[in-house]
Amino acid sequence: MKTETDNINNELMPRTTGVVHNMVKLARNTRRWIYFRLFRTPIDILITCIISALLLQFLPKVLAWLTWNSVAFWGDPNLCTEEGACWPFLREKIRLILFGTYPFSEQWRPALACLLLVGLVGLSFTQLLRLRSTVIVWTIGSVAFFVLMSGGSLGLVEVDSIQWNGLPVLLMLSIFSVIGAFPIGILLALGRFQKEDPVLRSIAVGYIEIVRGVPMVMVLFMGLFILPLMLPESMNLNSLYTTLIVLVFFHAAYFAEEIRGGLQALPKGQYEAAKSQGLTYWQSMRFIILPQALKCSMPGNMNTLLGAYKDTSLVVILGIHDIMATAKMAYSEPQWQQYGVEAYLLVALWYFCTCLCLSTYSRKLETTESKAAK
Amino acid sequence: MHSLEKFMLRLSEKRTRTLLYQGLLIAFILMFFYIACVNVNNNLAAAGIHIDYGFLFSESGFDVNESLIEYSSESSYIRALFVGFLNTILLSFVCIVGATLLGVAFGVLRASQNWLGSSISFLYIELMRNLPKLLILLTLYILSINSLPHVREAYQFFGVFHLSNRALYFPTLIWQEHMITVFLTCVAALIVVYIYRRYVNHFKDKTGQDLPFLWPSFLFVGFVFFLVSMILGVNYSFDFPALQGFNFAGGGEVSVQFFVLAFTLSIYHGGQIAELVRGGIQSISKGQEEAARAIGLSYLQTMRLVVLPQALRVIIPPIGNQYLNITKNTSIGLAVGFSDLVSVMNTSINQTFRPIELMSVSTLIYLAICLVVSVLINAYNNHTRLEKA
Repeated sequence: MKTETDNINNELMPRTTGVVHNMVKLARNTRRWIYFRLFRTPIDILITCIISALLLQFLPKVLAWLTWNSVAFWGDPNLCTEEGACWPFLREKIRLILFGTYPFSEQWRPALACLLLVGLVGLSFTQLLRLRSTVIVWTIGSVAFFVLMSGGSLGLVEVDSIQWNGLPVLLMLSIFSVIGAFPIGILLALGRFQKEDPVLRSIAVGYIEIVRGVPMVMVLFMGLFILPLMLPESMNLNSLYTTLIVLVFFHAAYFAEEIRGGLQALPKGQYEAAKSQGLTYWQSMRFIILPQALKCSMPGNMNTLLGAYKDTSLVVILGIHDIMATAKMAYSEPQWQQYGVEAYLLVALWYFCTCLCLSTYSRKLETTESKAAK
Repeated sequence: MHSLEKFMLRLSEKRTRTLLYQGLLIAFILMFFYIACVNVNNNLAAAGIHIDYGFLFSESGFDVNESLIEYSSESSYIRALFVGFLNTILLSFVCIVGATLLGVAFGVLRASQNWLGSSISFLYIELMRNLPKLLILLTLYILSINSLPHVREAYQFFGVFHLSNRALYFPTLIWQEHMITVFLTCVAALIVVYIYRRYVNHFKDKTGQDLPFLWPSFLFVGFVFFLVSMILGVNYSFDFPALQGFNFAGGGEVSVQFFVLAFTLSIYHGGQIAELVRGGIQSISKGQEEAARAIGLSYLQTMRLVVLPQALRVIIPPIGNQYLNITKNTSIGLAVGFSDLVSVMNTSINQTFRPIELMSVSTLIYLAICLVVSVLINAYNNHTRLEKA
């Protein structure tokens, strides 16, 4: 955009060439950028001043705490002070935070299991495999995960699931709950969307609305207190699997709502066309409706997935030891009590990176799909 | 033979089949519930318990660390649940207000031209969208517990507010007999102001001229307040918190738990709302903003009068969803020991082992809260929606 001042500047500017000219141009552009992006209106000036004042006040303190006042990762933990972060604490405790009370000599197993799950998720995101091979790979992968974690076969020492802690628990609960919840969500959405069967419809509506109206902590408590009561006395569920089941049924309601949105967004002609081709209900769903509806609802589903992954951390309240609980374990020893923030920063780093990957992936999915639609 | 054939024929009809499926489904659900109930009954009977809501009125025997109404360990369970309910409502309200303010501020900043503001809000939104709320809560909680001073060395603000790692202490108004009359008169004065406001709008529609509104209404309400206070002889005095032994006495207090919870949920949901607000603003065509600037409105006027009202229509439904989430997410207060509804319920269950009764009551309360919130949001949504031509 060319303004009047530009023209004047050009006239006043001596005719220079080469490097000098470029530098003058750069300087002018910088000045213009600073003016337009920082100080154009009084409000802008005010905002810029307030934010820079706050940054100048707090940023040096935070940076000092993080870097030059801290004791380095390979340093001596005895030198830690209140002024800076104590990174040696993480060096000492990182295995406790990642794998908790899993037998120390066997910790390669949860490490491998985590890598396996992360790899599987990454593989599914590349979309190289078709649906059937994905299912096969995931089945093998999950069996391998549980064999690795619980042992008892292939010459591995048996480890009780009470001792499963930290990262593998987080990954297991979040990934398997989403995998279980998605198909149930589809069924619930179909049940809610159709008109022929009012009984099924009202059951689906009631289920979805009740689950969505109650906090997750409450639903988790229901699993903890009521689910065992509903089973015959001979059956004993361990709390990890109870939590997994509850998470599956909890997230299913949220997925169902997103998928129903996709079903509703499809033009009516698609349903009618499928019917006029003589397809049965299940055929038309399988080949015509669901592929489109799922594609339509993908952004919402990815959002739900991200939320589900973040909310898996709430199982701590139930006493399941995921990565947040092991972080707490790490700093609850008397000598490390000052360094809770460092432990949580590590957890935050993990969550931030993984969530960023997920949201970047979902954004990419959206853009490629909107391009494909054109 | 004849009847069987007829039956088969009818079975091939679609309607009959649907009916049959429905019957089977109902039977299946009933059977499921029946088995579940039998199991629950057996399991409870083995523990010597029968489902009975009568215990809700017996003495609870546990203390709640924060309460808006009078409560002691001699109060009943139902009262304890009510205390938890009130705490949940209060926390939700504070968080909804805080998250809305933060969300609108950062959302507008994110959509603005200002590079510094835009980048700061980008950072803030990304952080909040990619971190779990419980992590933020626990980090802030141990930060405040570790870095705030003990009660005896509490920070002072203006000599009347005291902040320690246990609570914030503040002065409270000492209640007097006629205050309720003063309060009601002020409400009446505000109603008069509201009527005047409508008249001002009406006048402007008719003649295009502005009548003074702000200062006359302030003056009017202030005048009414002073006059009635003078006539009734009400004097306003405060109960100041003062250090006595190991704690503060007098005044009111808000626990650090409440503080941290309110702050966490406000910034967490503020981030989500900011993203919605940004999306809403950017969905309004650029021409609207340029047209507004062209007729000489300032940036703030453009936002307030042209862009935000239009963006509001796009963002109200998802923001309403966020409000519902805030209400539900107050239950993470359990992690820091704030006595909200779920926390009180949990304590009661651990004491009585009556999960069925307590959970059904709390679920109903939550569903009622959510229903009320969504009805309010829908009413507001209908109010702001463009009328269909």
